[in-house]
Amino acid sequence: MSIQLNDQMIALINDPKTLKVLASADQDGIPHVVFKGSVSVNADGKLQYLEIIETSQTNRNLVHSIWFRRQVAVGILTQDSRNYQIKGTPVRAVICGELFEKNYIAVRERFGKDADLSTVWIIDPEEIREETFSVQASREREAYPLIGHLDRF
Amino acid sequence: MAESKHSWREDELSLQEVIKKYPDVSPFVILKTDVQRRGVDFTQRAIDAVDPDRDAVVYRGIYSEKNDRIPNGLILRDGTTILADRVVPSSGFNGGRDPYLIDIADGKAVLTDEGKVIEEVGYWPKPDYFDKVTSSGKPMWQVLVARPQRMDINLYQNCDFWKDIGMGCKFCPIAATYSKTKNIKREHLDYQDVAEAVAEALKQPGRFRMIQLCSGSLLGGKELLDDEIDQYITMLKLLEKNFSHKKVMTQLISTAHNERQLRRLHEETILTGYTADIEVLNEEIFNWICPGKAKYIGYQEWKRRLYQAAEIFGPGAVNTGIVSGVELVKPNGFRSEEEALEKGLAEAEELARHGVGVAQTVYRVAEGSYFQKQKAASLDYLTAFAKGLDTLQRRYRQEAYFDDYRTCGNHPNTDLARI
Ligand code: SF4
Repeated sequence: MSIQLNDQMIALINDPKTLKVLASADQDGIPHVVFKGSVSVNADGKLQYLEIIETSQTNRNLVHSIWFRRQVAVGILTQDSRNYQIKGTPVRAVICGELFEKNYIAVRERFGKDADLSTVWIIDPEEIREETFSVQASREREAYPLIGHLDRF
Repeated sequence: MAESKHSWREDELSLQEVIKKYPDVSPFVILKTDVQRRGVDFTQRAIDAVDPDRDAVVYRGIYSEKNDRIPNGLILRDGTTILADRVVPSSGFNGGRDPYLIDIADGKAVLTDEGKVIEEVGYWPKPDYFDKVTSSGKPMWQVLVARPQRMDINLYQNCDFWKDIGMGCKFCPIAATYSKTKNIKREHLDYQDVAEAVAEALKQPGRFRMIQLCSGSLLGGKELLDDEIDQYITMLKLLEKNFSHKKVMTQLISTAHNERQLRRLHEETILTGYTADIEVLNEEIFNWICPGKAKYIGYQEWKRRLYQAAEIFGPGAVNTGIVSGVELVKPNGFRSEEEALEKGLAEAEELARHGVGVAQTVYRVAEGSYFQKQKAASLDYLTAFAKGLDTLQRRYRQEAYFDDYRTCGNHPNTDLARI
């Protein structure tokens, strides 16, 4: 089920200084993780990712995901080292029309005349989790207070 | 007592059953296949929601002509395009099936079947050049066809096989389309009109990835098909002025040419992809369905020419189109889908061994063709065929970029090559 990202999260994702990775898998389940600066949140609150390379493994994996409803994950690392993971499912591969052409022009303005655009991917966010180390560690301590080496206690 | 009406639906697997039977085949591609074989119709509110300023609705090509509010083509959420003609269920030319119905739900266009929403659907966007006019005064949409990412040039709008009585391909509506429209269009497009339209189309950033040329067969010349070759070379020479590269993504779909003609195309032009449609992967059935191709070139020679083309144009650049399902047409087609699948895929494998791919076009019964009252094949069969061809493509490491979901969008098997 899709979720609504809050304004703070949207601002973090759309901040060009935030590091973003996209994790996807192929039909054999083999994972593929790559840094993707073009991940953003669009006006509808969906994740948008600009795929520049038509033949890339990510593009193939996203096709596999939209076909068979498999989730992908986007990892976010903010400038102040906060860390989030958003899981979602690709719901649209835009390869033509107004939205595509607008982004095509933007990509070429940014990366130069040799740049191309393959697909504007729209991903429905379904789950968000903070993965910042301190948050994760205190989450575990609260849920499983007895887990750990005894010399710590 | 009312007689119970037997429905075609009782005789074959449904869309959902086929999707379940082939869990590793894209459900979008299976849906596309079903929409292509059955066609679509539109509710009035769906037609009212079409925006002729945004959606491509006017069309002049070799197989159809229209100037109304019905979209030229469909596009699914995953980017799969669908070439589906409008079918009026009561027309009698519906291939024995009912078309899907496009309606509006929650403000969006949707494909429906028996009242159930199947999937959201979009339409091919109208390109910027459609409203422009050539220097001779021709509306550009009349001389250049547009798919979402491809422009199509149909230079010769008739086919010489139909001029030799009984020699036209039996599934093909080209002659009917031409005779219906000959008062408003010329048999041969003006090269300059086309060149101007292409130059204009190229001004739209991010729209086109491919130029395709396809016409009816032009048999004349010093040697058979020399006129056809001259026609394409003339056009391609005019087009090359638009590019700084020596070769650009272009595809010719034509009659099968001899070695000398193929070399001319390869050496003298920007052409990169070559396709000569064999239509049917069986010699006997080909002879029956494509009598003109059989008479003037022949099945074995057609294949030999494709093999030569693969050597000349190189890996991944040559394929042949088939009208998938027409091989089952009565009375001379294959007697069973099992036999058609086995023999068709064996023949496709022989082509693959020689570097020639197969592009599967789903057979939809066309009004105005010799076979206009025939029946389309089952979705189960067409899906099995697409999967079989995809397996061959992977086994022989064949690329599909000259005829894929973007550069063509009409072939279920090359759609499957996306993953
Ligand atoms: S060659 Fe056959 S399929 Fe092609 S246009 Fe002529 S009749 Fe139609």
